[in-house]
Amino acid sequence: MSANPSEPPSGPRSKVTLKIPRELYERLQQVIQGTGFGSVTEFVVYVLRDLAAVEKPAETAEGLSHREVDLIRQRLRNLGYLD
Amino acid sequence: MPARRKVAVIGWDCATPQLIFGPHLDAMPNLKRLIGEGVYGRMRSSDPPITVPAWTSMMTGVDAGALGLYGFRNRKDYTYDGLEFATSHSVKRDRVWERLGREALRSIVVGVPQTYPPKPFNGDLVTSFLTPSIESPYTHPAGLKDEIVRVLGEPYMLDVEGFRTDDKQSIIDQCTRMTEQRTRLAEHLLAHHPWDFFMMVEMGPDRLYHGLWSFTDPEHPKYEAGNPFENAIRDYHAYLDACLGRLLAAVGEETVVFVVSDHGAKKMDGGICVNEWLMANGWLALAGPPPVEPTPFSKCRVDWSRTRAWGEGGYYARVFLNVRGREPHGLIPEAAYDTVRDELAEALAAIPDNRGNPIGTRVLKPEEVYPIRNGIPPDLIVYWGDLGWRSVGSVGMGAIHTFENDIGPDDANHDYDGIFVMRDPDRPGGGRELEALHLRDVAPTILGLYGLEPEPDVQGRRIIF
Repeated sequence: MSANPSEPPSGPRSKVTLKIPRELYERLQQVIQGTGFGSVTEFVVYVLRDLAAVEKPAETAEGLSHREVDLIRQRLRNLGYLD
Repeated sequence: MPARRKVAVIGWDCATPQLIFGPHLDAMPNLKRLIGEGVYGRMRSSDPPITVPAWTSMMTGVDAGALGLYGFRNRKDYTYDGLEFATSHSVKRDRVWERLGREALRSIVVGVPQTYPPKPFNGDLVTSFLTPSIESPYTHPAGLKDEIVRVLGEPYMLDVEGFRTDDKQSIIDQCTRMTEQRTRLAEHLLAHHPWDFFMMVEMGPDRLYHGLWSFTDPEHPKYEAGNPFENAIRDYHAYLDACLGRLLAAVGEETVVFVVSDHGAKKMDGGICVNEWLMANGWLALAGPPPVEPTPFSKCRVDWSRTRAWGEGGYYARVFLNVRGREPHGLIPEAAYDTVRDELAEALAAIPDNRGNPIGTRVLKPEEVYPIRNGIPPDLIVYWGDLGWRSVGSVGMGAIHTFENDIGPDDANHDYDGIFVMRDPDRPGGGRELEALHLRDVAPTILGLYGLEPEPDVQGRRIIF
């Protein structure tokens, strides 16, 4: 996979090369046609980020920090949704 | 799959049909044109008819029970304080844009409730008013935040600040500024980011109605003829329509356009203090003397050994029973659950107004409303005065009925029907009014425009005309 030319330049050690079967690569080239994804790399990075994000631990079950919970509670109270 | 479609959903939170399709339509030429070229109708909201879960129900095609989202906060377990916020993490199903993303279709999503924290998907997303602050990561991708600041040249407004104020001009000014800003952002995103699906929700109508309804509705008890804000809501609707015109130009004539709201609005007569009533009628007991000033229920010490039920406030009430073997200090034997709940439901439905007149309260049991009940539903859902009265959970109000609010004035409650307008350039509707629309029908209708079938358990149906 080649680097996505639209991404900002970055240091030589900030990226690594992954190898995937050519058949899959060609299939993905078709999949992304007309989707707005500029390259297979961009698409694969997006999908992998999505997967990685799922595993990220959250501070509370809602995915909010305790401070964020307080801020939202206050906002909702001010709005009249909690009373 | 048919030729590539583009679909735009413009959401106006709370936009209410009796005004939008009634006396205000002449001040809304862009919407009027869409209606004339398409179809329109009143659209039944979710139960409860409230922002969360309504927008998520609309964008998934399933009801609150299937979502397991019964309000802004939901019980995560049977403890007494185990309420958690309904964030994006609470939504376990694909919303339209996530489903489209899996089909390699790209979306722009701005301001749709329950999108914080932003989840990765194929497109650009700006979260909603349910975001802690603009310091939070409120976009996907994260870098979009910098672009927003650059484009707007000012901090992004997640919401108006404090609509419960007597400074009515400030609410109008903030709503107008927020709407202008979000429209400008949407124009930029539509012009510079690729998209197949666009959705934006504007919170302004909801905020303005809650803040100014009594100034504009002659039926409201606090209405005074000739007040300076008599036309504030109509004028804001006209402004909203001008912004709609800008969005229509930005999405192009070939795009299928929906203009929808998640629920409607109507005048609010007052509030029923649910926990005050439960205390006065032997259902709820506090440990120690009751507070003499309005105090959030969560700050009160409850004597659970003498409590059979408690309630949550908001635009409707949720009532929970203290059941033995279910709650930590449960009192009601499981075998008596149905009898006790019926007794309470009947008593709540019979609470009159402050003059002793009946108010037509509706008390719903979850199993009668939702075919599937995921998560932990409340034991009873109460629409005081058929949504004419709000629910106050705080105690220390000194009365069952209240007409002032300790956190500021609020004039409107939610109503069951929102608005639905659809203009498909390939299927002229001739301004036909559709009936029996439900907000769950929107998601399958959108998916159908892309040639996609909804998941088999989706409860909504495609709107055909």
